[in-house]
Amino acid sequence: MTKRQRQRLVRGALYAVFVLVVLVVSLVADWPRIQHSFFNLEIAAEMFPRVVTVAARNTLLYTFLAFTFGLGLGLLLALMRLSTIGPYRWFARIYIEIFRGLPALLTIFLVGFGLPIAFGVRWNILVYITLGLGLVSAAYMAETIRAGIEGVPKGQMEAARSLGMSYSRAMMSVVIPQGFRIVIPPLTNELVLLIKDTSLLFVLGTTATTMELLKYGRDLLNQRFNPTPLIVVGLVYLAITVPMTQLVGVLERRNQRAR
Amino acid sequence: MTTASAPPATHAIEVRDLHKSFGDLEVLSGIDFTVGHGEVVCVIGPSGSGKSTLLRCVNRLEEPTSGQIFIEGEDITHPDADVDALRSRIGMVFQSFNLFPHLSVLRNLTLAQKRVKKRPKPEAIEVAKRNLDRVGLSDKIDAFPAHLSGGQQQRVAIARALSMDPDMMLFDEPTSALDPELVGEVLEVMRKLVDEGMTMMVVTHEMGFAREVADRVVFMDGGVVVEEGPPEQILADPQHERTRRFLQMVL
Ligand SMILES: Nc1ncnc2c1ncn2[C@@H]1O[C@H](COP(=O)(O)OP(=O)(O)OP(=O)(O)O)[C@@H](O)[C@H]1O
Ligand SMILES: [Mg+2]
Repeated sequence: MTKRQRQRLVRGALYAVFVLVVLVVSLVADWPRIQHSFFNLEIAAEMFPRVVTVAARNTLLYTFLAFTFGLGLGLLLALMRLSTIGPYRWFARIYIEIFRGLPALLTIFLVGFGLPIAFGVRWNILVYITLGLGLVSAAYMAETIRAGIEGVPKGQMEAARSLGMSYSRAMMSVVIPQGFRIVIPPLTNELVLLIKDTSLLFVLGTTATTMELLKYGRDLLNQRFNPTPLIVVGLVYLAITVPMTQLVGVLERRNQRAR
Repeated sequence: MTTASAPPATHAIEVRDLHKSFGDLEVLSGIDFTVGHGEVVCVIGPSGSGKSTLLRCVNRLEEPTSGQIFIEGEDITHPDADVDALRSRIGMVFQSFNLFPHLSVLRNLTLAQKRVKKRPKPEAIEVAKRNLDRVGLSDKIDAFPAHLSGGQQQRVAIARALSMDPDMMLFDEPTSALDPELVGEVLEVMRKLVDEGMTMMVVTHEMGFAREVADRVVFMDGGVVVEEGPPEQILADPQHERTRRFLQMVL
């Protein structure tokens, strides 16, 4: 047998295994039951439009709030991390280490239950949501943004300063806009992670009007004793996240070409 | 301002006993150096001799370790000196152009005018157009830097510096990053500035340019000024062995 023939044989065998597995699984599987449990059209139909108008809407709202807050705080932390003033640098470092090192759920608990107990405050739930998710994502975004700012050639700052711009003006008008172009792909990844992390918010005791996608799906699962709602909710997540990860790919390729 | 204690402004740039170290490495070891009003001074010397560092100290992109620098008689090494205001009066052109790649040519030229000089937008645009015309690139006003050749980028960078109406211009090897066929157009623009009477300090390896336009050539080596004088003397009849050796290598 030549090497080529042997290669073809191996490829053929691999295809055969694949087809065989698919055949066996589809023959053995209890299709009616699978359909009834996971793809129950009746239950799926009931979920509309609430799954979109309430659950998905809340997921997107919470993501937006946390992302905006996290981006602002992350930018601030990134600038502190690059500051020439020691205490700012240390604070940012410690903050970033702590919030990246803790489970997100612990932070959400701390904010959602710790703050009310400690200070006797009863804020709108949106505040807890924004803080709980935003404090964590700020830590991740700070590192991303810092890398972006450091990725801008030093000559850009020097050119801006040599024209008489102050450090902060040069940062605002010259360095940060270029840094952001570099970090748009990783920040979009951050956004996708955040979308998925909103599923942790159920611990805050979200209600019928404030529940996000996963909580909505879980409640229905319990009510109807059928997993179809989880599948529907999963598809809604994917409908949001897959276009975004695709977008990241496009942006990354474009950035690469721009270099 | 510290004008009260400053000497009369007999020089555009005056450097006194300037020292600069990076850590343990002393790069400038006591430089005394002047540029008169309307004078064109070319600084030459081997790589690593401290030419860029000297130039960058003049607008305090580098902090001098010790010594004094006077710009128009004002001591800019004084702790109270307004460095931003100072820099807006000194144009600087870099070897690597350093145009702002996210902004159009027009915005490159108007940004600092608006943000630093607080010029109203119409005036800033007016000034930008005038300076683009000076460097012969009026048709590139809406282009982005990435779409320009190296020579064009450097001419835009010169126009950007000129848009601040500087009293003097510093050039750090403005043609070293260019393909040979693009060097001429940049030197052309610089020659025009010389003719207009601009005060210029030019670090360069273009000996032909130095011979042609410089009022004075300064040869640096090892962090000191080895010798200076009119170009015909320094380039044709140098007094120091180090200068001779350097010129033999580059000519
Ligand atoms: N930021 C810095 N940190 C540490 N060392 C530096 C720094 N900038 C310059 N140097 C060192 O200082 C010395 C002089 O550098 P400088 O750039 O002034 O030389 P130059 O005469 O302009 O040389 P070239 O012709 O290569 O541009 C070099 O040895 C360089 O490595
Ligand atoms: Mg240099």
